[in-house]
Amino acid sequence: MFCIGHRFSQMAQIYTDEKPHAKDAITRLSYLCTSVLICVICGLFSAGCQQNKTYSKGSAAVRDYYDGDFARAIQKLEPLSQKTDENYVLNNLRLGSAALTAYSLNESEAAFLRAWEVINAGGVNSGGRSVAAVWIDEKLKIWKGEPYERAMASFYLGLVYYIQRDYNNARGAFENALFKLRDYADPDKKSSDYAEQESTFVLAHLMLGRTYLRLGRDDLANESFGLARQLQPRLSQLADPGAHEGSNVLLVVDFGYGPKKVTDYDGAIVGFAPTPATVGRLPAPRVIVNDAEYPLAGLGEPTIDTIAMAQDRRWQSIDTIRTVKTTVGTGLIAAGAGYGIYKGAKGDFEAQDAAIVAALIGAGAVLKATSQADTRQWEMVPRTVYLLPLKLPPGTHDITVSFPEMSNLQQSWVGLVAPAEGDATYYMRMNRWWPGPWQWPPAPVTIHPPEQKRE
Amino acid sequence: MARFACLLMIGLLLLAGCKSATQGGTSTALSGVDLVNMTSDMAAKIGSDAEVNAAYAKKGPLKIVVMPVVNNLRAEVIPRGAAYAFTGRVRVLLSRHAPDRFTWIMNRDAFYDLRSRERELQIDAGPSPDTVQPEYALTATFSSLGDENIKRREQFYVCVFELTNLQDRTLLWSGSYEIQKTTVRGFLD
Repeated sequence: MFCIGHRFSQMAQIYTDEKPHAKDAITRLSYLCTSVLICVICGLFSAGCQQNKTYSKGSAAVRDYYDGDFARAIQKLEPLSQKTDENYVLNNLRLGSAALTAYSLNESEAAFLRAWEVINAGGVNSGGRSVAAVWIDEKLKIWKGEPYERAMASFYLGLVYYIQRDYNNARGAFENALFKLRDYADPDKKSSDYAEQESTFVLAHLMLGRTYLRLGRDDLANESFGLARQLQPRLSQLADPGAHEGSNVLLVVDFGYGPKKVTDYDGAIVGFAPTPATVGRLPAPRVIVNDAEYPLAGLGEPTIDTIAMAQDRRWQSIDTIRTVKTTVGTGLIAAGAGYGIYKGAKGDFEAQDAAIVAALIGAGAVLKATSQADTRQWEMVPRTVYLLPLKLPPGTHDITVSFPEMSNLQQSWVGLVAPAEGDATYYMRMNRWWPGPWQWPPAPVTIHPPEQKRE
Repeated sequence: MARFACLLMIGLLLLAGCKSATQGGTSTALSGVDLVNMTSDMAAKIGSDAEVNAAYAKKGPLKIVVMPVVNNLRAEVIPRGAAYAFTGRVRVLLSRHAPDRFTWIMNRDAFYDLRSRERELQIDAGPSPDTVQPEYALTATFSSLGDENIKRREQFYVCVFELTNLQDRTLLWSGSYEIQKTTVRGFLD
């Protein structure tokens, strides 16, 4: 682009030396083009660089998380989670996940709650942010996640409350999770879409049913379980109130990885990969309690599939804007190049033509550069969540959850407590590198001292 | 040059116009403003209630235990701090304006939580609530009708405060605060 500008200046100089009357017009045009280009480039750099900095720090923390260094991940995410920039929600969700896996429940609750407040708010991106997101970079908008990510955020907040036996708040969060998937649906076509979309998030119905049981509202529990059975008949055993009534241990097992946001059409159209058709079916878990296999008998069904849920992404206005921008950008570049070739072939390529070519190609390039889709996503979302309600004798137990079909992927915990009254809930994030055995209760997370910068 | 400066200024203003994640937008959750309005209203009503004053005239200072808010809200949560803040502020206002009429007793959970942090906070949690028998309980139950769709999120709150006699389970006083909140989803929400 700068070469074109330089060349344009040289040609304009030659031209204006010959025809002084054209100097004003060309000068105006060149100022305008240069101003617009510099302005956009400045905007892109000042905004984009800042965004990339906090985003990449968060990504580094996610790598620490998957390396099993929860303390380091939390340490990196804590300061980021306080920055109320466009990654505020994302970094809080990341922190919530890392803290939940490390059983730092207070921190996890606080982080999920901070994210929840912004997710539930309206008009967060109004004003300057909308304009900047449309015209400069979509990543300037405050990220609130796709509907399935919002639903998962509510689910995890509910889970943190449920683990702490704060059942009223857990209920509120699970109800909110059901609201989030209505984001797909058009309220004017309520009947069909609502049922279809809520069916994919039967996980919240199940947890809601279990929560109502703890609150002593058997009527509402039966209603929630009934809805879950109706929406997903394959979960009939898991959605049977009898499976939960006497259960004193609930294992919540996160398995696999959620979909990855990918782009197409010069980065302007966003989609998710892989698709349900290209991934294998979800495996069945095995639960070993004190060296004996626990009879799951139909309880080990996956409750959701985020890969399938992500495919339901609704086409949004911003997608149309990006697509139009990149299409127009391509058109302008092609028009600029075509014009230059045409004029060159005719042998009357003059300074004005150079200005036109430069302006068309420059404007097209700017449009294409600013039409890149926002690919930020919550990387910790699993592919599915297994809810395993167990009925164990009161006391401590050594429990292993394994997936024989997945090269015996497993995680073991020693000394998990099965209470005589109520239930205890244990969260497990399956990862090949975290097989355990882990001791219950887990040690508090030790935050490393900040690294000293070398001189 | 003037045009360039003008365009640059517009670009910078555009960026400066970006609000932070917590500054922009509206929420249907109960806010600090609701907390102040609601608790001031409830404290004024309790303080001026004829039956409450009659009970004081008959028995002397009312021994009241303060309970956290019970969350019956639809699709909303009330974090622990906020759950105590709503009833706690009523207590603070009443103990400031009518210190002779009420004796406030910390509820068991709050007491044991405070006692576990005595050393950290360097305060004395005072006598155990087991040694002081409360006569009344100040409770609050928040309920709501809520809904959300692609265009808006709505909550209609009914927040009921009650002063209950713990001996005979009769209601000495009851008051409610109602508020409706709607937030409209924006273009990029």
